[in-house]
Amino acid sequence: MENFEYFEPKILKEAVRLLVKYKRGARLLAGGTDLMIEMKGGYVKPKYMINLKKIKGLDKISFGKKEGLSIGALVTWSTLLSSKPIHQYYPILRETASLIGCPQIRNIGTIGGNICHASPSADSAPALMIYEAQCVVAGPGRERIIPIEEIFAGVQKISLKQGEILTGFHIPTPETESKGCYLKFSPRKAMDLPIVGVGVLVRTSNGTFQDVRIALGAVAPTPIRAKKAERFLSGKTIDDDTIRKAAEEAANESKPITDMRASREYRLGLVKELTYRAIKQSIA
Amino acid sequence: MKTSKIKIKVNGEWHELTVPNKKTLLDVIREDLHLTGTKKMCDTGECGGCTVIMDGMVVNSCIVLAVDANGKEITTIENLSQIGKLHPIQEEFITRGAIQCGFCTPGMILSAKALLDQNPNPTELEVKAAISGNFCRCTGYVRIVNAILSAAERLRSVNDEGI
Repeated sequence: MENFEYFEPKILKEAVRLLVKYKRGARLLAGGTDLMIEMKGGYVKPKYMINLKKIKGLDKISFGKKEGLSIGALVTWSTLLSSKPIHQYYPILRETASLIGCPQIRNIGTIGGNICHASPSADSAPALMIYEAQCVVAGPGRERIIPIEEIFAGVQKISLKQGEILTGFHIPTPETESKGCYLKFSPRKAMDLPIVGVGVLVRTSNGTFQDVRIALGAVAPTPIRAKKAERFLSGKTIDDDTIRKAAEEAANESKPITDMRASREYRLGLVKELTYRAIKQSIA
Repeated sequence: MKTSKIKIKVNGEWHELTVPNKKTLLDVIREDLHLTGTKKMCDTGECGGCTVIMDGMVVNSCIVLAVDANGKEITTIENLSQIGKLHPIQEEFITRGAIQCGFCTPGMILSAKALLDQNPNPTELEVKAAISGNFCRCTGYVRIVNAILSAAERLRSVNDEGI
């Protein structure tokens, strides 16, 4: 690993200034669970390291039933797991956190880091997508809000401009009747990426699907919402055939590749089966 | 400047060091402080062999920069035995055959300690979750889980007796 200059800005403005000054030579340090590995592997060689953790306020969680949830980019998975409002109102986010890594990783890995690394298989993406999170971004200009679906630009590419820093997420309070889950398919129960990840949030009424959200991870260059499958289900009567058809639709919307973890065909099969199971589980 | 001055509290003692910014906490522990109980295995945050307790939480010290640990309290495996007497977790690992090559052991024991400090009465599932970041190539984990469960029982009975 190559050496670098190291900064611990105390305010966000200073971090932005450093980022603008040092451009592509600089990297932001949150938990470091991705960055450190990339650096040790020689994939990333920053000359300037900007540690964000001394900036106050980036690791806070706050909730109000009207306002929704505010979660700082530096909130670690362990902190998220111990949050009462998240437990009660965003159970799928909690479920997701419990499936990430292991205790050592969860103690330092952050939700912002997970999104900014922008892996197509980012575990936190499906849950954030079905909860329709808004990403709060600070930078040299005004603070801006980017919907979670638009934050991913490609494989490990985040839609942030030079000098911009993701500071957190705003997530509206889900409808009380909506239920969902995140199904992560991986060979190991810990310390593994999903081969396919499916997040589902469903609201039903009188035996019909009202509002369905389906998000898929690891089956496209970015995490995606299966909008055609969602539209297919909206207003339809809840029955097994319908759910199977929706799952097939979701598989058609996915664009998985064959890589060392699984073949394209296997992933398509998983999307079909897991989407079906996730919807069934959500309406049970 | 590519070096920084740091102060870290390791096993109860403060140390002031000047380190290259890129140096990991693991390397400082092993090379600067000569505490080699913490193992360097995968060196990429995957195996847990480098597990230490930092500010009360288990972390993989190979992916924590020493500069990032500035001002923090670190516990390594060396701190578990006191005045030559082994910690109950260490004793149970020995008597229950939970050690073969011994490389994963320091990390396993610290993960167990962090668990029992938070949750003195864990279920088997909770023990397995607590060590899910600690890789063992030798034992098959069963004896490790049993050792942690018996250590938990021992520690509970010690506390119950108010000793």
